[in-house]
Amino acid sequence: MTVALPRSGERARAVALVRRVNLAVVVFLALYVAIGLLQPTYLEPAGAMNFLRRAAPLAILASGQLFVLVSGGFDLSVGSLVTLTVIGASMLTANDPSRTWWAIGALYGVGVLVGLINGAVVAYLRTPSIIATLGTLLSVSGVAMMWSGGSPRGYLPDNFRMFGRFVFHDVPIIKIFPIAVAVLVVVCALAQWGLHGTVFGRRVLAVGDNPRAAELAGVKVEFVRLGVFIISALSAVTAGVLLGGFGGVSVDVGLGLELQAIAACVVGGVQLMGGRGTLVGAVAGALTLTALFTLLTLLGLPQPLKETAQGLILIAAVAIGAWRRRRAV
Amino acid sequence: MSDAQALAPATAWRRSLSAPPLLLVGSVVLYVGVAVWTGQTKMLEPSGVVGLLQRMVALGIVALGQTFAIIAGSIDLSVANMISVAAVLASYIMQGRAEMMVAAVLIVLAVSALVGAINGAIISRLRVNPFIATLGVGLILQGLLSASFTNFAGSVPPEFQLVAYSAFGVVPYSVAALFVLAAIASFILWATRFGAHLYAVGGNAEGARLAGIRTDVVTIGAHVVCSVGAGLTGLYLASRLRSGAPWVGRDGVYDLESIAVVVIGGTLLAGGRGGVWGTLAGVLLFATLDATFNMLGVSAYPKLVLRGAIVILAVAAYTFRSRGHVG
Amino acid sequence: MVEQASALEMLNIVKTFPGVQALDDVSFDCAPGEVHALCGENGAGKSTLIKILGGVYRPDGGTIRLDGREVAFSHPVAARRAGISIIHQELSLLPHRSVAENIFLGVEPTRCGILDRRKMRVEASRLLRRLGSSVAPDSLAGDLHIAQQQIVEIAKALAIHARILVMDEPTAALDRDDAARLLDLVRRLSAERVSIVYISHRMPEIQAVADRVTVLKDGRTVLTASLAETPTSRLVRAMVGRDLSDFYPPRSTQPLGPQALAVRDGRNRRLRNISFEVRAGEIVGVAGLEGSGKSALAQALCGDEPFESGVMEIAGRVRMLRSSRAAIEAGIGRLSDDRKREGLLMQQSVRDNATLTERAFASPLRSPTSEPMSPQSTDERLAQLDVRAASFDQEVQFLSGGNQQKVIIARWLARDPEVLIFSEPTRGVDVAAKAAIYRIMRALAKNGRAILMISSDLPEIIGVSDRILVMREGALVGELPGGATEEEVMAIAVAHEREPQDFAS
Repeated sequence: MTVALPRSGERARAVALVRRVNLAVVVFLALYVAIGLLQPTYLEPAGAMNFLRRAAPLAILASGQLFVLVSGGFDLSVGSLVTLTVIGASMLTANDPSRTWWAIGALYGVGVLVGLINGAVVAYLRTPSIIATLGTLLSVSGVAMMWSGGSPRGYLPDNFRMFGRFVFHDVPIIKIFPIAVAVLVVVCALAQWGLHGTVFGRRVLAVGDNPRAAELAGVKVEFVRLGVFIISALSAVTAGVLLGGFGGVSVDVGLGLELQAIAACVVGGVQLMGGRGTLVGAVAGALTLTALFTLLTLLGLPQPLKETAQGLILIAAVAIGAWRRRRAV
Repeated sequence: MSDAQALAPATAWRRSLSAPPLLLVGSVVLYVGVAVWTGQTKMLEPSGVVGLLQRMVALGIVALGQTFAIIAGSIDLSVANMISVAAVLASYIMQGRAEMMVAAVLIVLAVSALVGAINGAIISRLRVNPFIATLGVGLILQGLLSASFTNFAGSVPPEFQLVAYSAFGVVPYSVAALFVLAAIASFILWATRFGAHLYAVGGNAEGARLAGIRTDVVTIGAHVVCSVGAGLTGLYLASRLRSGAPWVGRDGVYDLESIAVVVIGGTLLAGGRGGVWGTLAGVLLFATLDATFNMLGVSAYPKLVLRGAIVILAVAAYTFRSRGHVG
Repeated sequence: MVEQASALEMLNIVKTFPGVQALDDVSFDCAPGEVHALCGENGAGKSTLIKILGGVYRPDGGTIRLDGREVAFSHPVAARRAGISIIHQELSLLPHRSVAENIFLGVEPTRCGILDRRKMRVEASRLLRRLGSSVAPDSLAGDLHIAQQQIVEIAKALAIHARILVMDEPTAALDRDDAARLLDLVRRLSAERVSIVYISHRMPEIQAVADRVTVLKDGRTVLTASLAETPTSRLVRAMVGRDLSDFYPPRSTQPLGPQALAVRDGRNRRLRNISFEVRAGEIVGVAGLEGSGKSALAQALCGDEPFESGVMEIAGRVRMLRSSRAAIEAGIGRLSDDRKREGLLMQQSVRDNATLTERAFASPLRSPTSEPMSPQSTDERLAQLDVRAASFDQEVQFLSGGNQQKVIIARWLARDPEVLIFSEPTRGVDVAAKAAIYRIMRALAKNGRAILMISSDLPEIIGVSDRILVMREGALVGELPGGATEEEVMAIAVAHEREPQDFAS
């Protein structure tokens, strides 16, 4: 056991505070300042809002993935669920704006179903989540392809696209306010409350830390698992609804998003295999990744090299996190 | 302690139902059954069976390597990208010239070994979770590759295509190579100190370290084997496709599928137990499913749906009785 | 022990960690074939000293000599090569590998670079026979009984020709019988001139096996003496700095309350004919050998592996328990015998651990800090149990074993169950913390809870219990009043109609 060296109270508190600030927040701010130096419009309110709008889907996915990761699992199926949402939206609405609302309802229903399947397979069939959700990844993308016949195209109805595209103008202070940012704020608030402000959130942490101990203390581990996978799936549908507004319908809207969401969480200090993680970290991680992509675009880096940069930052973030933890103990 | 007693029946049950024979029998029954039922009995002739085995080669070789990584308690998500790198590199270096074949193969193997060493070093030295480390390395590789090549790069000479298209009598070189590699891998695991240490590091890394095993070296070794497996798969694909393109690995979903077949084959995802014959049996199951779907005329997309369900069911078949929780 | 050159000498060892002087001028030596016991409370510096010996830490000052030659270990491997083997409390076996593979882990014999499996098997059975065990070298380590696993650990040490063997509480997880056999083994090894550093909290063991004893306290040596010349009371005083006359709290003189727990003819796969009752205010001890079913009884009572037939009554109501949760709802709380795996959330705070059960039952959307889970009331309970931590926000993994145990007790206090089941409540806990846990148990009983204490530590069963139930082969076979002698308990626990089991067969 180690005992902290006696320090003057003030300084100790300051050090503790610095330690508690999430590394991803610092990295994100640094990257964003760099972006601002290259392209000053990003420092204006409208630029910042637009940045947040583009970051919203990934941040929402990361908020959902956070619950699964903290519970000790992985959800690899979210990317294909995003694709299914977009394709499903185009099939269900068939360019008829009057169908938008029930289509969204139906898509959330599909999300709950996918989450339930993931959760049930992990909780009751005891299949490791990385395999279980890999299976649903394959199946869900298969369903999406079958439904659309393989080559969907075109755009969703305008009132569906509103969630991703619509922007309120002439808002005081922030100038513009995209609906996507509003959705992001609501999702973050819900996730923050869910993980850090409820008994359920503590159960998720407990299950991620030691499922056996949690079970013996009376926690219904299976219900917690079902819950986190449903939350993750709902976040994927939400992200899909936004992404459907960003661009056209295609089979690869969600491609690779599951790994990006996991990467965002990890950059934000969420511990794989469970027990540690914060919403602030996950969202900061998503913003960091988005900022990184933006910066690389501004620097004129070709698209593929952005992947390379993402890989580097991912490894660096985890290596630094591991190093900090080793030093702290 | 009650654990030892509680453990015994579970492991006894598992051993009595060990994965490889079960998968083997299941695959054969499925294949024969569907062939007979659909009246495509020519699929049961040697050429049909060889065709089935040939479906195993690409996934089989990379899965052999993945088995090493998983036994050592690690995992490698960069194999798909490594396969693309290997395929492109090989055909780019060869540019259709037979005299460059040896150089190209050696360079590909050296590069893949280096990538494996980097994976292993990031995991064991920088203590990065293997999932993230190999995901990151995969992204780095893919980015570099896609930035340099956008389409089929170069081509392989006809001599090199013999790897995929020629045979000893009815047995294609590639199928023979798969089984020879499996035998070598099995020998390494069973009969060398490196093999014993792989199981030790995967089963109890701290215990292995205290027993004086250089765990970082073992982890790096496991990843070198894994990446070289991916490199060999890349060479095979270059030979079969006659050229390499930066998407061949990703399109084959070799990263996730190789993990799936290893786990279906009875290797513990957490490490410390398993073997290559189980993995091959898992690969056979996947090849059989592909073949039977074709015989049944299932089209591409429903095939994907079924394959996902089968991954889950195959693993669940021997996890659902366990009492412990999984994450 | 005959005077001669020491096999091991650690002289004036100093080790400082940031903010703590872990070892301050500690010296320790061990002659060939000597058993030298090392005692002290948790945090006294034992494990630091051992880690220095094992090459995990490097000392800031002092010298280590083996057979008179000065050595410095940069890595655990170097210490192993020098013939030092440490058997940790947490066994380091590979459950899915064979016994032979485990024994030769890291020193596998090879022929032309190929593992010589035949030699491994032959040598492994030779080593095991030398240790008096008949475990088959081909059996999987995970299938072995814990006592047999311990033997395999010792065989691992012999396989590297260890001349200095450090055993860290080797009997902590063993029952009395197996512990006695292990002590025999220690004597046998010492006769083969292996030097043994024996770490233990258990006084009778130390007296039975050790030649000399060294007591550490707060990083300093307070006593090194021949055991023959040192009375127990002096040893205990040296360890805790005071007499432990009140080690076991006095039994209650109050009249007992109503029946809190009753089982009639409970049976399951591992248990049969279980009938007993516990009344409010009573501490009932359950004794029995390893495998007698006493841990299965705890699991059955708390719904983890429930009775399949029979009747169970809690506070006068008949209950069928199908899960841990159902047992908790019915009014049962349990302290598991494996707090790491079954009790604690290592990375969560002390408070989060202490409120786990309340949070398991609260409505999921409530605030995690609403009553009775608020920091204030949680801290009150923790303070009531005298939990020592730098802060209750600290992760529970950094607490000592005794404090961790108290945190789990705090979890149940909030719930106020009728019946508390304490399985091995003081396993791996130092002497002072043991006394504190006994006091807590007694206080709980006084407040009207019924307590069932399941333990392999016979002195503790006898010292604490009001009544003693004895188990054998999955059944309750006898009952004795509190204060019975160890011989009386053992007479019932050991079946006379059955030959004593071979230690390692």
